[in-house]
Amino acid sequence: MAERALSLGLPRMHKEKGERRDFLPELARTVAEFGVEVRVERGIGSGMDLGDADYTSVSERVQVVEHAEAYKQDVVLVLRWPEAEELTLLKPGATLISMIHLPTRPARIARLNELGLRALSLDSIADDEGTRLVENMRAVGWNGVEAAFGALEARFPEFRDAKRGPIRATVMGAGLVGKHAVEAATKYGDRGRAGELDEQGIAGVEVTVLGRNLTSRWRYMRDRLLHTDVLIDATQRSDPTQPLIPNDWVGWLPQHAVVCDLVVDPYVLDANPPTVRSVEGIPRGNLDHYVFPPDDPTWNATVPASIPSANRRTVASCYSWPGIHPKDCMQLYGRQLTPLLQTLFSRGGIAGLREDGDFFERALFRASLIAWTRKQTPAGEVDEGEATAG
Amino acid sequence: MVRTVGLPRMHKEAGERRDFLPAFTAFLDRAGATEIVVEEGYGSGMGLTADDYLRASSKVRVGDYATCLGQELVAVVRCPGDEALRQMSRGAVLLSMLHYPTRPGRVALLRELGIRGVSLDGLVDEQGVRLVQNLEAVGWNGVQAAFKELSAHLHRFAEPGRRPVRTVIMGPGHVGAHAARAAIHYGDPALRTALAKRGVPGVMVTLIDYDLTGQENMMLDLLEHTDLLVDATSRPDPSKHVVPNAWVGALPEHAVMLDLSVDPYDFTCNPPEVKGIEGMPEGTLDQYVFQPGDPVYARMDPRIDRTHRRTALSCYSWPGVNAKVCMEIYGNQVEPIARVLLECELDTLDPERGRFFERVVARAEVNRWQSAH
Repeated sequence: MAERALSLGLPRMHKEKGERRDFLPELARTVAEFGVEVRVERGIGSGMDLGDADYTSVSERVQVVEHAEAYKQDVVLVLRWPEAEELTLLKPGATLISMIHLPTRPARIARLNELGLRALSLDSIADDEGTRLVENMRAVGWNGVEAAFGALEARFPEFRDAKRGPIRATVMGAGLVGKHAVEAATKYGDRGRAGELDEQGIAGVEVTVLGRNLTSRWRYMRDRLLHTDVLIDATQRSDPTQPLIPNDWVGWLPQHAVVCDLVVDPYVLDANPPTVRSVEGIPRGNLDHYVFPPDDPTWNATVPASIPSANRRTVASCYSWPGIHPKDCMQLYGRQLTPLLQTLFSRGGIAGLREDGDFFERALFRASLIAWTRKQTPAGEVDEGEATAG
Repeated sequence: MVRTVGLPRMHKEAGERRDFLPAFTAFLDRAGATEIVVEEGYGSGMGLTADDYLRASSKVRVGDYATCLGQELVAVVRCPGDEALRQMSRGAVLLSMLHYPTRPGRVALLRELGIRGVSLDGLVDEQGVRLVQNLEAVGWNGVQAAFKELSAHLHRFAEPGRRPVRTVIMGPGHVGAHAARAAIHYGDPALRTALAKRGVPGVMVTLIDYDLTGQENMMLDLLEHTDLLVDATSRPDPSKHVVPNAWVGALPEHAVMLDLSVDPYDFTCNPPEVKGIEGMPEGTLDQYVFQPGDPVYARMDPRIDRTHRRTALSCYSWPGVNAKVCMEIYGNQVEPIARVLLECELDTLDPERGRFFERVVARAEVNRWQSAH
């Protein structure tokens, strides 16, 4: 541990009203036990029915401060990338821990360097095999599918009819999110709902998974979509300029069908080439509004006019599916982060991390901005002074 | 805390080729082991020699099986037999797949012998996620082998004019999910790319859970159009089949059945425990593909109905099919565990407030596990 106790700031996320996630008192307590001064933003946890006292009562080292002050600590931990003006609140040399997405956000890297900040990207913290250590893909799959089946139940009168056949779910994409979505879909996205329907002798869910060598075949897809009750998009497209399911194909789905969007890519029409969503013409939801019936008046708010959207089915879409159940989400992140923060603070901060340290130290080092920069820079061009400061 | 480490081989099946790799012995050296004894022939199933281990660390020496078992820490993937356990020293640590919940006899023996078991399959994080596992290899290796068979049996397998291959996976858990991803790639991404380039339609994978597998009419409809049937179930009641042998008859003649759950038949229990697909043989690393006329069927217990047969694949250890890859993964996963054992006294580990891996090891230690259960 460094001579002066390090401090950790836990600011809140203010961008969306519906964002209710904050780190929980348990994490604040654990970090305080490492000898770290913890400064939490006033109102932290209020979206999950927690009060400031729930945090201050766990340790004398935990204190409530205002928004700006939470950003002025040695290490600042905030799940989502801060707003531009929030970044300037950090002290030069401080460490920002956040979902930075280093490989795809060069502008963020430039800004961090400009402000003289150190950084650890939560989405880059992985073990030696590349498996992410801070992630909640399970919640993406389960929460999205839960919302989709909830919407299907509301629109499909036969949903609880013992005489109906199996519900048919089609999952596009078999990566990590698709994997969780498949399991969730076999349980209607909700084990309680599945148990209830099973007890009534109602047939379950038949889940079909498709790779891109089938999704590109329109004849096959027509047959499949005609008999699909829930279409789940969990794809990782190699070409984001082309939709996977053109809007005409959406018209093949039964009227009661629900499209579950787990990808949540935005439309970026001013990019070159423009990128589009994989199911063409569907809206993009947020934590305040994530189920869109076909006649939803806000449908066009996130669908550019030039995108075909005449064929509509109910859509479940949310930019942050884990945020639907904020407490579960933050409990998981807290557990995942505990050993990492313990390692970080026991090494006296980011500068003390060793590339060949123990399991968590190696994982943290690889996720640091300096490691990322070093990886991108040809040998011999690394500024060793900067590298040491790490 | 332990200082000397024994790495014995696994002798039960001739086809078992897995041993920890030289990189693991190098790690043990760095973590403080003073002596590392590898058994004669260690690594030979993967083309490695004693020199490969001796070069990895100056602490390595080669010894016989008994010498390996005599060290303070014995690390081996599959649990040695009872006789071998009796050769271990009282107070020694055994790091192995010990399967406490289903092996009460083994737990009792470990305690009687004073052996400090640390079960590799019991090393879990606070969410219960196993830290030493290779479920991905279970799914991928099994599915790869199954598609190799299917390509030989399915008419026009590699021709653009055929319909999509139909795979049905029973059980949507972790193994089933890996199997689904593998099946979409024919268990071999290079094969998929080659077939896709030639315009051959891909694989449609259907996953079903227990609330559908019990519906006879639906299952028979599904099985009639299934090319590859995969059992990835985790049954709450292993005395009941998921697919009775009569249903196997509904599969097309060319179909292939793949057993990934690898539950054994056990007629010593009451009621007897059976496999998910009735009539599925029990495979090993020496033989895991069984054609319908294979002599293995004649040797099966007469109480098992195996009237209807298709090409069947079963192996007690699918990860072992690609031994080196498997051990590279296990080696990396075991490193932080071995570090705890080399750095701390087992009795001092705090399962509540210790560091992450200390808590993990404490929960997987046999005495504490038994107290907690």
